Amino acid sequence: MKEINFSKELELKGYYERLENGLEVYLVPMEKKDKYFITYATKFGSIATQFTPYKEKSERTVPNGVAHFLEHKMFEQEDGIDPFTFFSESGTDANASTNFDLTRYICYGTKNFDKNLRYLIKYVNSPYFTDENVEKEKGIIAQEINMYKDEAGYAIEDTLRKNTYHSDNHRVDIAGEVRDIEKITKEDLYLCYDNFYQPQNMFLLVVGKFDVENVKSVVDEVLRPLKNKTGELPKIKQEKEKKPVKRESEVVPFNISIPKIMMSLKCERARFDTKDEVKLDLYLNIILDLVFGNSSTFKERVTNNNLLTKFYFDIETIKNYKTIYLYAESTHPSELIEEIKKEFGSIEISLEDLERYKKVLIASTIKCADYVDAVTVGFTDDISKYGKIIGNPIEICKSLDIKELNTVLKGIDFKNRAVVTYVPKNMPNLVKEEVNE
Amino acid sequence: MEYIKKNLGSYNLHLIKCQKFKSVMVKVYFREPIKKENITIHNFLTTMLTFSSNKYKTKREMVLKTQDLYSCSISSTDTRLGNYLNTCFRMSVLNDKYTEEGNLEKCIEFLSDIIYKPNVEKKKFDEKSFDIIMNQACLSLSSVKENANTYSMIRLLENLDDSPISYRSFGYLEDLKDIHAENLYSYYEKFIKESDVDIFVIGDIDFEDIDSIIRKYFKARTFKKTKGDFIIPAKRAPMRKRIVTEENDSNQSKLAIACRTYNLTDYERNYPLTLYNIILGGGVDSLLFREVRENHSLCYYISSTINKLDNIMLIRAGISRDDFKQTVKLIEKQISVMSHGTFTEEDINKAKELYQTAIEEIEESESEIIESYYMIELLGVDDIETKAKKMKEVTKEEILAVSKKVKMDTVYLLEGRYQNEGN
Repeated sequence: MKEINFSKELELKGYYERLENGLEVYLVPMEKKDKYFITYATKFGSIATQFTPYKEKSERTVPNGVAHFLEHKMFEQEDGIDPFTFFSESGTDANASTNFDLTRYICYGTKNFDKNLRYLIKYVNSPYFTDENVEKEKGIIAQEINMYKDEAGYAIEDTLRKNTYHSDNHRVDIAGEVRDIEKITKEDLYLCYDNFYQPQNMFLLVVGKFDVENVKSVVDEVLRPLKNKTGELPKIKQEKEKKPVKRESEVVPFNISIPKIMMSLKCERARFDTKDEVKLDLYLNIILDLVFGNSSTFKERVTNNNLLTKFYFDIETIKNYKTIYLYAESTHPSELIEEIKKEFGSIEISLEDLERYKKVLIASTIKCADYVDAVTVGFTDDISKYGKIIGNPIEICKSLDIKELNTVLKGIDFKNRAVVTYVPKNMPNLVKEEVNE
Repeated sequence: MEYIKKNLGSYNLHLIKCQKFKSVMVKVYFREPIKKENITIHNFLTTMLTFSSNKYKTKREMVLKTQDLYSCSISSTDTRLGNYLNTCFRMSVLNDKYTEEGNLEKCIEFLSDIIYKPNVEKKKFDEKSFDIIMNQACLSLSSVKENANTYSMIRLLENLDDSPISYRSFGYLEDLKDIHAENLYSYYEKFIKESDVDIFVIGDIDFEDIDSIIRKYFKARTFKKTKGDFIIPAKRAPMRKRIVTEENDSNQSKLAIACRTYNLTDYERNYPLTLYNIILGGGVDSLLFREVRENHSLCYYISSTINKLDNIMLIRAGISRDDFKQTVKLIEKQISVMSHGTFTEEDINKAKELYQTAIEEIEESESEIIESYYMIELLGVDDIETKAKKMKEVTKEEILAVSKKVKMDTVYLLEGRYQNEGN
């Protein structure tokens, strides 16, 4: 295995190998810790619903929510032993989750490392779907979907994605709708499993306290011999996403007492000169935090004027686009939206701001590298977004410069935006829908 | 891990040396017997203290200062611990080795300033900060219903009885109108003088250095009092369970159930009851999870938790309202599986394994290590090693004895009006 070069401040070491069958293995041992965290994942998420299987001519469409449904059903095993029971007998926590691009299976604990590692790989490699067990899951997932539908924070994000994208599958909720999952069959699950749960589409990430030699021998014994079912991965259909947002403004009455506002800025990737994806994401995060975060004059002004209670931002990467999301809660949504728009026109970031921010970023990166869970989350994200672990965040951070930051700032498409406002049901006319100038 | 405790007269200083973390964490606890009428002003005060200070007059100045201190993080929380209202001021920052010499001391001074040098003039809190906090508090207290999960729990406990169990630990909207910048300051003076205080510092620290830094910035200000009783006296559940339902505009209905635990010894509360709870509803392999979710597909989540200090056990699940009766029946059936002793040795062993892992994982988090020492300080419970040892020896008979002392009291359903209709 090759060594991963980490920034020295992180005090981490790590190893990486892409096996002949394509499966990627990442090992990050942390001797001082008592806990380990194992992730076995496939780069298959909710957006893959239309694809042409290898050597097949025609395209297949599976119902929305199938990746998440499949994740639930991996916990069904032919020998009748539930993975949850196995892990609880070995005193270990286990779980799984699905997002737009990834399905991950995890276990974490302090003991029985070897046994748990082998079992995690084994159960994810042994699908057992029947008509009955697929049917049984529908009630459970329907409850999960209903739970999220009731939560304004989730619901508004879903509405905004639908209004931002025309055809990209990020517009569909990860779990799908109840009517989608009703249609799912065991054949759909096997089709997706056979195509996307192959070594060439998967990775293993182990972080924390464990013996590297031990994992290497498990890799040799269990993972190396795995064969791909198909020569190549299926092509996932992605329609070309149109540039303008789909709908600029929408107001939705909801079961809440404080209005929620969410805005997206849909920016074509080509607008940014910065080629390095990691750097670009970092610049965008820094800009948003400096302009809207806790240390910003914007936040101070709107908070002092009682226009804002909560605020956060996020960045999403889809094919050919970077989308910036801003979320806020405010009793005066229209005024707040005006303030945000005003801010867009007058952003200035100084060298001093950037240097101060670098100090914060470096300190928090070192701090994060101290926790098994945080390291796992960060590296899973890296692998999913950038195809590898970013080992030198400190050097990258130090290399950021104000000129490039200002070029990135110019690339943000402040005009191509969608705004969704959720208003209390008793105040449906609090905000007017309007279109961009 | 090395631990020492020093009685500094008005507070106890607890120092924990631990080489596995790159950062140092300080927690300063203030606690006092809970009074319903003080909860709102108490929450208001602690929010105010972390919002601005005498030296850093606005939130923004505070944030810039924390950034300058190498991203030192500061927060406060108010929780109810049985009969007590407990406030924790928490500061965490990288060790000087990763920042610069003297940074940790500056952070401790900053934390001390937040607590002891508030944004006050002429015995009055700064009006500007006050107005902002008032507006935020008003909004957050008037939007309690937005989180159906939390709200159903609050309503369950309010229907259970009127002891401190039922108090909303974050406060009441109607009490806000009585708070102003002057009486907030009087409350602050009382808070500083009369609370019981414990200070914890954990990290790769030098005991003598930290001891002198803490003494320098945390001067004796409170009067030491005798220990009160934290545990809320147990009550018997009624002969027949009570059922309360309310409606809201949701798809999903939230089921919340309170069971009483009665007549438990300290040993039973700390050991067999813990295992009882893990077996019944502690995780994804519990009786409730298997029966209600896996066998009957009635919910996505279901779990039980023990509130030891309150002598109650809580069960929660998200369901369809049509399944209410069936779900409650299945839960009762699992509770009777426990009291009839039809659970197995295997169930017990699994619960013990999960407990051991949870105990070992405490040592991965500075915050939780402090928390567990704090509980030893307050309740005189066993230390981590003793706990691990004693838990292994709990027998089926002991769990069975405890299971006869658990009884369902109140069942609350927050009924979703729009089941499957979309919102």
